[in-house]
Amino acid sequence: MTRERDTGAGGSGGAEGPADSARDLASRRGMETSVYQPAEDSELLARAAVGHAEGRTLEVGTGSGWVAEQVASETAASVVASDVNPGACRQARERAERLRAESESGTGAESERTDAGFEVVRADLLAPFADEVFDTVLFNPPYLPTDPDNEWDDWMETALSGGESGRELIEPFLDDVGRVLAPGGEVLLLVSSLTGYEDVLAYAEARGFSHEVAVQESYPFETLSVVVFSQN
Amino acid sequence: MRESLMDIICCPMDKHDLDLEIDEQDGDEIMEGRLVCTECGEVYPIEDGIPNLLPPDMRDEAAA
Repeated sequence: MTRERDTGAGGSGGAEGPADSARDLASRRGMETSVYQPAEDSELLARAAVGHAEGRTLEVGTGSGWVAEQVASETAASVVASDVNPGACRQARERAERLRAESESGTGAESERTDAGFEVVRADLLAPFADEVFDTVLFNPPYLPTDPDNEWDDWMETALSGGESGRELIEPFLDDVGRVLAPGGEVLLLVSSLTGYEDVLAYAEARGFSHEVAVQESYPFETLSVVVFSQN
Repeated sequence: MRESLMDIICCPMDKHDLDLEIDEQDGDEIMEGRLVCTECGEVYPIEDGIPNLLPPDMRDEAAA
C-alpha cells in the first residue's frame, strides 16, 4: 500500500502514482472505498506466497481475496482467508466461488485441481483459529503510521492504518501466530520500511521467530519486504 | 463454508470447540446456520456461507 495520503503530493503523472491517496486512487478507478483492492504489496505477498505456501494456509486480512485466490489456484495448499470487514469477506467469497466454479467446469487455468476454491471466515486476526493447524500463515497488515487525529473511521482506515507506530496490528498478530502454526510452519509477513522494519524483526525475534527475506522491492516512498518467519 | 473448516476453527473467546448447526445447505456448502461454543455457549452466525467468528462485541457492521 504505497500511499502517502497525508502529504497531498500526488499526481506526478503516473496513472497509479504511489503518492495518490487511497481515496483518489479508488475514485479514479471507479471503485468503492470500503475494501482494499490488490496493489503492489498484494502482488509482492502473492509472489512470495506462491513459492512457500503448502498444506493448510491462512491469509489474515485478505481484503478482496486476491492473494488467497493466487495461492489457491497456483499451489496445492488448502487455503482459508479471513477479514474483519464484512464487505471484504463478501468480495473474497465471491472470488472463491468463481474460482471453484471455474475449476469444476474445467474452463479455468487450473483445471487439474479438483477443488481450487478457498474458505472465507470473518475474524479478528487469529482469534477463532485452533492451535497448530496451519502450515503457512500470510499477512499483509494495515501498516501506515497514522496520526490519531487524522483517522477516517471507516473500513478503508481499518485496512490501511497501523496506528501511531504502524505496528498496532502487526504486534498482536506476532504475539498469537505461534499458537496457530503447526510444527515447522512458516509466517509470511509483508513489512514496509514505513512501519519500522528493524522494529518488526526485533519484535518477532523476541517471540522466538527467526527470519529470512523472501522478496524485497523499493518504491518511491517505501521499501516493501516479504519476511518469512519460522519458529526457532 | 464447508464442514471441513470445523477442524481448524474454535471459539474466539475461549478457544474451545464449536458445534455446527445447519439451516441451509447448497451441495457441500453450508450457507446458513450457526456455530455454538461447546464451553461458553456463545452463538456465531453463518450467513451467505460466511461464518462470523468475531467476538460478540465486534460484530456490528460499522467500522469501529
